[in-house]
Amino acid sequence: MLILKLGIRNIFRNKAKMILAVIAVSIGLFSLICLDALVNGISKSMIKNAINTFSGSAQIHAKNFRDDFEIEKFINQLDRVKYNLRSEKKIKSFTLRTQSFCMLSSPQNVESVMLYGIKPETEKNISLIDNAVIKGKYLNSKKSDKILIGEKLSKLLKVDVNDKIVVTLSQAHTGDLCQELFRVGGIFRLNIREMDSKIAFITLAKSQQILNIGTNVHEIVLKTKQLNNKNTFPANFQAKYSSYNNEALTWKDLIPGIETAIKVSRFSTYIMGLLLFAIVAVVVTNTIFMSLYERMYEFGILRAVGTRSIQMAQIILTETAILCAAGILLGLLLGISVCYIFSIIGISYGTMELGGVTLIEPIYPAISIKKLIIYPIWIFIFTIAAAIFPAIQAARLSPVEAMKKKDR
Amino acid sequence: MHNVIEVKNISRTYGQKELKVDAVKNVSLTIKKGEFTAIAGPSGSGKTTLLNLISGLDIPTKGSIFLAGKKISLMSGNELSDFRRDHIGLIFQSFNLIPVLTAAENIEYILLLQKTVKKKCKKQVSSILKVVGLETMGNRFPAQLSGGQQQRVAVARAIVSNPDIILADEPTANLDSATGSDLLDMMKDLNEKEGKTFLFSTHDKMIMERAKRLIILQDGEVVSDEITD
Repeated sequence: MLILKLGIRNIFRNKAKMILAVIAVSIGLFSLICLDALVNGISKSMIKNAINTFSGSAQIHAKNFRDDFEIEKFINQLDRVKYNLRSEKKIKSFTLRTQSFCMLSSPQNVESVMLYGIKPETEKNISLIDNAVIKGKYLNSKKSDKILIGEKLSKLLKVDVNDKIVVTLSQAHTGDLCQELFRVGGIFRLNIREMDSKIAFITLAKSQQILNIGTNVHEIVLKTKQLNNKNTFPANFQAKYSSYNNEALTWKDLIPGIETAIKVSRFSTYIMGLLLFAIVAVVVTNTIFMSLYERMYEFGILRAVGTRSIQMAQIILTETAILCAAGILLGLLLGISVCYIFSIIGISYGTMELGGVTLIEPIYPAISIKKLIIYPIWIFIFTIAAAIFPAIQAARLSPVEAMKKKDR
Repeated sequence: MHNVIEVKNISRTYGQKELKVDAVKNVSLTIKKGEFTAIAGPSGSGKTTLLNLISGLDIPTKGSIFLAGKKISLMSGNELSDFRRDHIGLIFQSFNLIPVLTAAENIEYILLLQKTVKKKCKKQVSSILKVVGLETMGNRFPAQLSGGQQQRVAVARAIVSNPDIILADEPTANLDSATGSDLLDMMKDLNEKEGKTFLFSTHDKMIMERAKRLIILQDGEVVSDEITD
């Protein structure tokens, strides 16, 4: 108790040094909390963007369909799969798509694109295509002669709403070429270069008709109720829906770049954390050493009157612990406050591409409660570890030598 | 009276070869319980070194020291700390109180090192402050006390654990003569009424005059040792 009292009072003897050490600890912790919250925010934003824009939480295809997009690789046992999906409580909605390569020809140009056949009503629940329409209208199941194209593609083809486009594609089974005339019903802008220039949408029924695939589809895209946690998908989701020679892929399989980008960001945070902690430890050790040398004579007296080596070390470690605790409190307060404010107002980067995902919306930093506990513990351990050296110096002090260094 | 200190042929040498300095040379002496002894001599005669050796703050190059029957040169660092805490009271020239602790806390510090129960500590501190005439000053920090008052607190700190001997290194050097005289009277009282053993290092005439035994050191050697009473 007396050592604690000594520690607290000694710290307040030199307020400037105390403030410097406390600020060093608090800035270190504050920076790390903010960095971690930002990385969390970016990760969430990447996942959200990837899922909500077009890919969905998961997709089901015929096995190996994504290897060559062979139009005869339909989803097997479609009705049974749909029935099963409807009974899953964790799945919010799903939609059906066809997918095939085709040529789009306008009077001025020709472009090779991926043509999707979609159900406009259910597609709305999965992707952002309907919201991205900037000109004309979103697709309507009753108007099967309309085609929806990206803004960049419209510029390449030099077409506008209501202009004519001819779709040329190869039909299933026979391989015969099929040409169909469409009118541009709408132009969308997702701010994703690939999507705005390389894909087009028509209604599902029309696509099935021109591809000559009956009521078959190539892709089921689904969205889960929860974005990304351990309970996002139904139990054994991938195993269950990879039966009947189909394959179920989650967003992690569909866009592997996201997970890699998230892992890299997390690793960078740890490296940054180590650097910050090392800087903080150096500043605190320096402060403690200065304090030790300034009070060398006093430490000599403490030793002379019977203070044991371990108690001398305790005095140093107690002072460090108090400084560190004050810094941690301040750092937590600042970190939580700043992150909370930005988690509401968001940080707008404009449009940024990361890990194969284009971030359109502002990034909202997300504080992890777990990290709010782990980081202060880390910084405390680092700082105390850094103070062990000066503590050993204090413990080894020879009273006579220390008392010679009188500087009062 | 039994021997409190027995110093047998101790020497302390600093430095090596050409820079070698013999601060204390073959000193032997015995201090009995209840003595009020002064070690005097000019600056550099080895007074402080001898006191440091006796208190276990420094280790002799040669010879042995027995304090309360124990050979201190054989003790480890922590044993020496405990020994000083329990058997020796130290008073320094510059008062040497812990500036961040109050007068009472400075005294209490020794008791807490001895793991005395808090309640008993308070009682002992209060009674010792009365002995040194500072019963109303316990809550003051050293900076709020005069030099004389600080040295009284240092005396209180030195005697609170009831040590076998109190070693005082030039305790009046930083005090004016009146304050120094008062302090010496108080220590003399403690010696006469409570039987406390004092060993001073000094070149202050007041201490030499009041000492019952005067040991003169010169160039690290005892040149005179006489009872003055």
